[in-house]
Amino acid sequence: MASSPKTSASTTSAPASSATTSSASSFRQRPWVRWGAPLLLVVGLAVLPLVMTEGANDTLARIGVFAVAVLGLNVVMGYTGQVSLGQIFFLGLGAYVTAYGVQSGWNIVLVFVLTCLIPAVAGLLVALAAARLGGLAIAMVTIALPIVGVPLAKRLSDFTGGSQGLSARFVEAPEGSGLYDDQWQLYLVLVIGGIVFLMTSLLVRGKYGRAFAIVKGNENVASSMGISPYRYKVLAFTIASLIGGVSGFLYMVVVQYTSPETMSFGHSIELLVAMVIGGAGSIVGSLLGGAFYVIVPDVTNAIDPSLTALLQGALLLAVLFVLPGGLVSLPRALTRRLRRSPAGRGSAAPPTTPSSTPGSGTAAEQSETERQGHA
Amino acid sequence: MGKFVQLVVDGLSTGSVYAALALAIVLVHQATGLINFAQGGMAVLSAYVAWWLTNQGLPLIVAILLAIVFSVVFGALVERWLMRRFERGDPDTAVVVTIGLLTLITGFAGWLWTYNNQQFPSLFPLDTVSFLGVSVSVRSLGTTAVIVVAMLLLQGLFVGTKLGLALRAVAINPQSAAFSGLPVGRLLMVGWGLAAALGAVAAALVAPQLTLTPGMLDNALVYALAAVILGGLTSPIGVVVAAWIIGILENLAAVYVPFIGFDLKVAVPFILIFVVLIVRPQGLFGRKTVVRV
Amino acid sequence: MTLLELEGVTASYGPVQVLDGVSLSVPEEGAVGILGANGAGKTTTLRAISGTVRAGGRITFDGKDIRGMRPDQVAALGIAHVPEGRGTLGDLTVRDNLRVGAYLRKDRKGVDQDIDYCLDLFPNLQERITSNASALSGGEQQMLAVGRAIMSKPRLMLLDEASLGLAPSTAKNVYDAIRRLRIESGIAMVVVEQNANLAFTLVDSATVLETGRNALTGTSAELRGMDEIRRAYLGG
Repeated sequence: MASSPKTSASTTSAPASSATTSSASSFRQRPWVRWGAPLLLVVGLAVLPLVMTEGANDTLARIGVFAVAVLGLNVVMGYTGQVSLGQIFFLGLGAYVTAYGVQSGWNIVLVFVLTCLIPAVAGLLVALAAARLGGLAIAMVTIALPIVGVPLAKRLSDFTGGSQGLSARFVEAPEGSGLYDDQWQLYLVLVIGGIVFLMTSLLVRGKYGRAFAIVKGNENVASSMGISPYRYKVLAFTIASLIGGVSGFLYMVVVQYTSPETMSFGHSIELLVAMVIGGAGSIVGSLLGGAFYVIVPDVTNAIDPSLTALLQGALLLAVLFVLPGGLVSLPRALTRRLRRSPAGRGSAAPPTTPSSTPGSGTAAEQSETERQGHA
Repeated sequence: MGKFVQLVVDGLSTGSVYAALALAIVLVHQATGLINFAQGGMAVLSAYVAWWLTNQGLPLIVAILLAIVFSVVFGALVERWLMRRFERGDPDTAVVVTIGLLTLITGFAGWLWTYNNQQFPSLFPLDTVSFLGVSVSVRSLGTTAVIVVAMLLLQGLFVGTKLGLALRAVAINPQSAAFSGLPVGRLLMVGWGLAAALGAVAAALVAPQLTLTPGMLDNALVYALAAVILGGLTSPIGVVVAAWIIGILENLAAVYVPFIGFDLKVAVPFILIFVVLIVRPQGLFGRKTVVRV
Repeated sequence: MTLLELEGVTASYGPVQVLDGVSLSVPEEGAVGILGANGAGKTTTLRAISGTVRAGGRITFDGKDIRGMRPDQVAALGIAHVPEGRGTLGDLTVRDNLRVGAYLRKDRKGVDQDIDYCLDLFPNLQERITSNASALSGGEQQMLAVGRAIMSKPRLMLLDEASLGLAPSTAKNVYDAIRRLRIESGIAMVVVEQNANLAFTLVDSATVLETGRNALTGTSAELRGMDEIRRAYLGG
C-alpha cells in the first residue's frame, strides 16, 4: 500500500505487471484516449445538470460536497496514514464561516478565502499539538473535535445561531443565464470541487505525496531520509482541514443551512466509514466515498431510518475483511479472481525457487550476520 | 464549602467511570497493541442487556451480573473473530476496525431498542449522607467505591494469580510466552473479556444518570482517551489518577468558570492535554513515548 | 530410541527458501549440534521444530507428527525453545519468569523444587530473584532463559546461540551449567552455536548446514578431526 497513486479512470492508468491488461493499458495510453476521455468527462458533466431532474441534481451536488470532505480526510488518513476522527468538524467550521460571512454581507470572495483559511489555521493548531504525541494519538485527540465542537457551536450563538443554526441563501442562478438554482449550484460544486480534486491529485502525486507515503510506510525510514514525520503529518492535517473548509463552503452552497448537528460525532464516523469503503488513498475512492455517504442514508431512510448505522458498520467491517482497498479496488479484485479461476491450476503460484547462492541470508537471519562480528 | 466537597465527590464518581473505561483501553492495548474505540460501545451494549433483563423481571443486581458475564463472552468473541486478523498488521487499520465495530454496535442497539432514552434503574438510593457537615450523594460514593473495588480485584488478579501472570507474560512477549506453553490466543481472548467486563461495570453504574441511549458513552470514551493520553498507555495507575483529575476538574470548571459551564466541560480534558503537551510532552506519568507506535 | 526426527524439512520467508531439505535425528537424552555459517538455516531449523515458522517435510517428536502445530502446543508436548535473543520477559521479575516457564505444570511442590534447582544451577540468579529481567546482564538473562525452559520440565530443549554476545568466561559458565543440567536431568538437546568449540563441549554429534541443507553429519569426535571443520568453525 505504498505510494502508487491510483489514478482516475479517465486519465492514465497502468495496472502494473500484467500481460493480459497490456492491450488495455496501451489503449488507454493512445493520445486521443488520454486527452479525449477527460474532455468527454468534462463535457458530460457540463451537460448533465441541464438534463437531470432537480432531485438528481441536488443528490449529485451533495455527493460532490461530501466527496470533497472525504478527499480531505484521505489526504491525512489515506495518503499519510494518520487516523483522523474529526474531519467533519472542519466541514462544520467552514459552513459556519460561510454562513456568518454571508449574513454579515461580506464579499463572497472574501468569505470563500476565510472559509479556506480559518479551518486551515484551526487544523494547524490541532495538528501541532496532536502530532507531537505520535502513534494513534492523532485519532485519540481528533475524536474530541466533533464532541467539543457541537456544544461549542451551541454556546457561541452570537456567531452560530446556537441550536437553531444559520441559514444563508447566497447562490442564485445569475439573471439571464436561463439556469435554475439547482443547476447553478451543481455547476459551482462541480467547478470548485473539480479544482480541489485536480490540485489534490497533483499534490499527492508529487514530491509531497511521496513524502506522505514514506511517512505512512515507516516513520523511522522517513526520518533517516531527512523527512520529518512531524512536519509532514502537520502539513497533511492542515491541508485536510483546508479541504474540509472548502467542503463546508460547498455544503452551504447546496444545503444553505447549518447547525451544530452538521458536525456531530456520528457524522464524523460516517465520513470515515465512507472514506474506507470508497477506498483509502485514492482519488476515485474519494468520489465513491462521497457517493456512499449520501446515497446509503437516502436508501435506508426510505426503508427504515434506524438501520443506517447498523448497515454502515456492517458494510465497513465487510469491506475491511474482503476488500481492504475499498470499492475502488473492486474491478481489479474481480478481474484477478476471474483470471485466476479458469487458468487456476496451470498458473498457480510457482514453487519458490531455492536460493542457490551461498550465504543468501534472510531478513530474519540477517541479525546473525550483524552480531557475528565479535563471536 | 459544602458545594465544593459535593462537586469533588461527584467528580470523583464520574472520574471513576472514565477510569474504568480508560483501564479497559489500557488492558486491551497492553495485550494486543491497539486502541479499542469500541470499548464504550461494547459497554453500552452490556448495559442494554442488563436493562432488557430487568424488563424481563430479573432483579437489578442479577441483571447486571449476567450482563457482565455477557460482556466477558462478547469481548472474547470480538477478539477471536474480529480483531485477531488485524492485530499483527497496521495499527491504523485495526483502529478503523474498532470504529466499524462501534458503528455496528451503536447501529444494532439503535435498531433493536430505538435511539430513545431509556430509564435505567439505579443500584444506589438517590439520598445524600452528611459527612463532617457536608452532604454528599450516596450514588457518587457508591459508584466510586464499586469501581475502586473492581480495579483492586483486577490488580489482584494480575499480580496474585497464575492467570494474571500469564496475561502479563503474553502482553510483554507473545512468542516467547508461547514457548513456555502459554495459549496466547486464548489469553488474548481473556484479556479482551476482562476489559469488556470492566466497561460493563462502568456502564451499569453510569446509565441511571445519563439514561440509556446507544451513544451514551461516546463522551465518556473521549474522556477515557484523554485520561489515557495524560496518564500514559503504560501506566494503569497514571490513567486512573488522570481520569479522577479530569472528572474533578471538569466538575469544578463547570461551576466556577462561567464560560465553560456544564455544556462545554467536555473541553476541559483537552485544554488540560494542550497544557500538558506544552509542559510535559511525555504525559503525566508515562514514559518518554506516550503512545507506542 | 529416537526422540526427534526431521526429514527433508523445508521452510521459506516469503520468496526466499531458507531450508531446503534438512534432516536431523536426536536420540532420547542425546544432544545434537547444528553448525554452519550465517543464513545457513540453523535458527530456522529450530523455529520449524517449535512451530514458529511454517515448514514442509516431516517433523516427528516421540513418534508424533508435530509439523504445523502452534508453538504453545509444541511446548506442551515437552519441547522448550530457548530462542535467539533469549526472550526473557523484561517487565517480570526473575521469579515470575521462572513461574511463567512452569505455566503448564500443576505440581506446586515440584515447581518450587525446580525453582530452587535453577537457582542452584545458576547462583547468579539467586541474588537477582526479585529484579526485573530487563535489569539483568546479558549472561544472567541467558541463564534465566535456560532456567525458564527447565521449569517446563521438557524432554527436549532447543538452544539457540546461548553464547551470543557474552564474554568468553561467561559463555563458558553458561555452557558448564547446561552440561551439568544435561547430565543430571537427561534432557535431550538441539544446540545451535556459532562457537563450535563451545558446542563440542556439550553435544555428542552435530550436523553442518550449508544453504539450508545438511553438508556434513558426524559425531563430535569425527567432526573435530576434520580439517575443513577446523578451518571454518574452530579457528584453527
